[in-house]
Amino acid sequence: MYLATRSPLLNMDADAAKIARESLELAFQMSNILDTGLDRHTLSILIALCDLGLNPEALAAVVKELRREVVPVPPSDAARPVL
Amino acid sequence: MEEEDQQKVADLIKELVIRLRSQNPNSESHPPTPNTPEFQSSLRYAFRLISSRLNPSVAPDAAAIAESTKRRLATQGKSSQALTFADLYTKFASKTGPGSVNNKWAVVYLLKIISEDRKNGKTQLDSSVLLPNLGFNDAESGKESRVLVGRGNKEKGWNNGVLLVSKDPENLREIAFREYVNLIKEENEVSEEVLVRDVLYACQGIDGKYVKFDSSADGYALSDLIKVPRATRIMVRKLCELGWLFRKVKGYISESMDGFPSEDVGTVGQAFCAALQDELSDYYKLLAVLEAQSMNPIPLVSETASSGNYLSLRRLSVWFAEPMVKMRLMAVLVDKCRVLRGGAMAGAIHLHAQHGDPLVHEFMGRLLRRVCSPLFEMVRSWVLEGELDDVFAEFFVVGQPVKAESLWREGYMLHAGMLPSFISQSLAQRILRTGKSINFLRVCCEDRGWADAATEAAAAAGTTTRRWGLGYGESDALESLVDGAAKRVDKHLLDVIYNQYKFKEHCLAIKRYLLLGQGDFVQYLMDIVGPELSEPANTISSFQLAGLLETAIRASNAQYDDRDILDRLKVKMMPHGTGDRGWDVFSLEYDARVPLDTVFTESVMTKYLRIFNFLWKLRRVEHALIGIWKTMKPNCITSRSFMKLPHAVKLQLLSTLRRCQVLWDEMNHFVSNLQYYIMFEVLEVSWSHFLDEMEVAKDLDDLLAAHEKYLHSIVEKSLLGERSQTLYNSLFALFDLILKFRSHADRLSEGINELQARTMESSLPSRDKSKTKKRSNDRSSEPGSWISEGRKALTQRAGEFLRNMGQDLDTLSKEYSSLLEDFISKLPMQQHVDLKFLLFRLDFTEFYSQLRPST
Repeated sequence: MYLATRSPLLNMDADAAKIARESLELAFQMSNILDTGLDRHTLSILIALCDLGLNPEALAAVVKELRREVVPVPPSDAARPVL
Repeated sequence: MEEEDQQKVADLIKELVIRLRSQNPNSESHPPTPNTPEFQSSLRYAFRLISSRLNPSVAPDAAAIAESTKRRLATQGKSSQALTFADLYTKFASKTGPGSVNNKWAVVYLLKIISEDRKNGKTQLDSSVLLPNLGFNDAESGKESRVLVGRGNKEKGWNNGVLLVSKDPENLREIAFREYVNLIKEENEVSEEVLVRDVLYACQGIDGKYVKFDSSADGYALSDLIKVPRATRIMVRKLCELGWLFRKVKGYISESMDGFPSEDVGTVGQAFCAALQDELSDYYKLLAVLEAQSMNPIPLVSETASSGNYLSLRRLSVWFAEPMVKMRLMAVLVDKCRVLRGGAMAGAIHLHAQHGDPLVHEFMGRLLRRVCSPLFEMVRSWVLEGELDDVFAEFFVVGQPVKAESLWREGYMLHAGMLPSFISQSLAQRILRTGKSINFLRVCCEDRGWADAATEAAAAAGTTTRRWGLGYGESDALESLVDGAAKRVDKHLLDVIYNQYKFKEHCLAIKRYLLLGQGDFVQYLMDIVGPELSEPANTISSFQLAGLLETAIRASNAQYDDRDILDRLKVKMMPHGTGDRGWDVFSLEYDARVPLDTVFTESVMTKYLRIFNFLWKLRRVEHALIGIWKTMKPNCITSRSFMKLPHAVKLQLLSTLRRCQVLWDEMNHFVSNLQYYIMFEVLEVSWSHFLDEMEVAKDLDDLLAAHEKYLHSIVEKSLLGERSQTLYNSLFALFDLILKFRSHADRLSEGINELQARTMESSLPSRDKSKTKKRSNDRSSEPGSWISEGRKALTQRAGEFLRNMGQDLDTLSKEYSSLLEDFISKLPMQQHVDLKFLLFRLDFTEFYSQLRPST
């Protein structure tokens, strides 16, 4: 359903949409096997970003940091802006 | 387009941040609101992160990334998941065309990183709870972590398993497996320090913890279970070559030392082992130092840098370079010497000493000095004391028990196999001869004077007679010692032989008596033993002949000779067959006692005997011819007494006599010339050469050679050699013919005498010839055959007798001339130069050479 955010897809014909869906499905399964903890929506956003040519390492860093970020919040909230 | 993309990226990131924040369990309490300050800061943080890493650190290769991910899964034990992943990836990769993902590698890579991060994050989660300050550090350095750091992580992993997920059966298994892998890894991953220690052990032939002797590969090697880089493995192998070589050398030493008394290792082998042992103890010292050093860190100027231990494998390889060369050499020597002993071993080692490298050269020199010292000691005691103390048969001189007379020739030999190559053949010969001379003096001559000579020689050579005075490499000293000793001992030996044992006198005596050089003695002996020897051989008593010999000696000038020499002269009867006459078996013998029987050995005496037989026969023939001459001198026979004979008979008588005289003359010419040749061209010339050589002879070998040459030249020149066998045979046929002629001539003279007696009887009864008278008396007792028949019958008989004799003489003469012809024609075919003189002599007037073309 979030595929709708990728506006070009809307103009595509049914085949392309199908392929895209399947690709996403496969990627999601791989993601599960690898135990990444990403849900389908997040994954689709990440794939879109990758397709736009962003560095996957950077994206991974974002995922990692934002997940973790919340953890140290209770002990040291003030330290975060420094990062 | 650019801006559109930028906008899209910004939107997507915002969305992402919202999603992530909403997922976060901790922030579940307050729903995501885009306007909170936290959200803003998170967004800013995300943007900064993305813009900070613009380029990926890996190559965009989707397949490779997928492969590594798969392998990682597999190593974690999730092989089924790995397979599923691989399957999914192939499907994912096959999606092409519109609507598919373009940056497939990026997606896969992204998933991989997130998964890894999550895993690290989990552990970190725990550590951050327990040790909040260390958690970040660990995670940061985790990627480059090596052995020690890795270990720390794993411990935490273990704790994780217990604390967090012990209830989850799948996780439990995973963690247990991980722990097992860690244990194996821990066990198998070896630090260099440990390896260095192991290598040091291996180099002493001891199995280390990891480096063990592998008998199938025949060498020390790291066991395969241990994970070390290939380079390290190879280096360890290389270093451990030293251990392998050491094992070999050590094995040889202990083997030969253990088996020492029973198996014959020999003194040289023992010396070799001892020298090797010394080298090994040096090597032990080095290893001990290295081992002590290996624990110390390298002192560095700056304290901050963590220095490794003093010894690394690489340093060790530098340290081992020199011992390795030595050890290799030793191993090669050990291999080479395993089957060798004594001198041969020293020679083999010497061959390896010819090396340009000064290190090797010096090393081998040291080794050889040790190895050769027993050998040189043997040489010394052999040359100076004549002692062969060689229990293990290692010396290149070999002695064997023989009788005293063959001690010199056969008692001691050079053993070529045991002669080390640094002792030349000629030097070895001199060494052999010197010791032999001493032994000869001691055993055969019972002389003690050699000790003085030997001491003098040792003093002159600079080394006293103390033991271990010589060493390898001092070949000059050895040579001068041997030379000095040889010169003095040989001189002493010759002095003893010449003066004490009167070698020259004995040679002269042999020449006089055996080679018939003493004319009056021979003549007299021939006269008195002649009748005896005409008897059949089996009736002759050698005692009687010995008595006759004594008589002959006393009657001739030989009586003034030394009694000792005359005592040695004996009659020898050779073994005889039936029909042999005394002449065939009679010979003289000279008894050369110890030590001279070294020169006059049995074979030499046999040669002398052959020469004697030849000369004796020649003498006998000469003697026979002289006997004929005595009875048939022309003036004896052509007396007036035959005047009364009828003219025809008288003529016949004269012609027969004449024929006889001519034949005699021819024979006499031949025999006297042959005799002359033998005496002056052969015996005296050879003797004179022999005397010259005796003067210059420096040792017994020279003397033996000179004597051998003397004897050989006599044999060759007197036609006794093998090459002149046919000539010798025809010569003997001639001799036999001459002896036959003698018997004919005797008969003729007897007949003539009788005839004479008869005629005298009839005319002059009182003739003062006792012999004739007696004979006439004999004849007169039986009433006369000739007289009674009267004059006519006498004349008739005489005529018949003379005719017969004439015919016999004719055949003899023919036979003789054909034999002589044969002999003379064969003579030039001999190779020997001196025989030309004989031919020249016999055919001086070219009578025979002129005769030959006509026949």
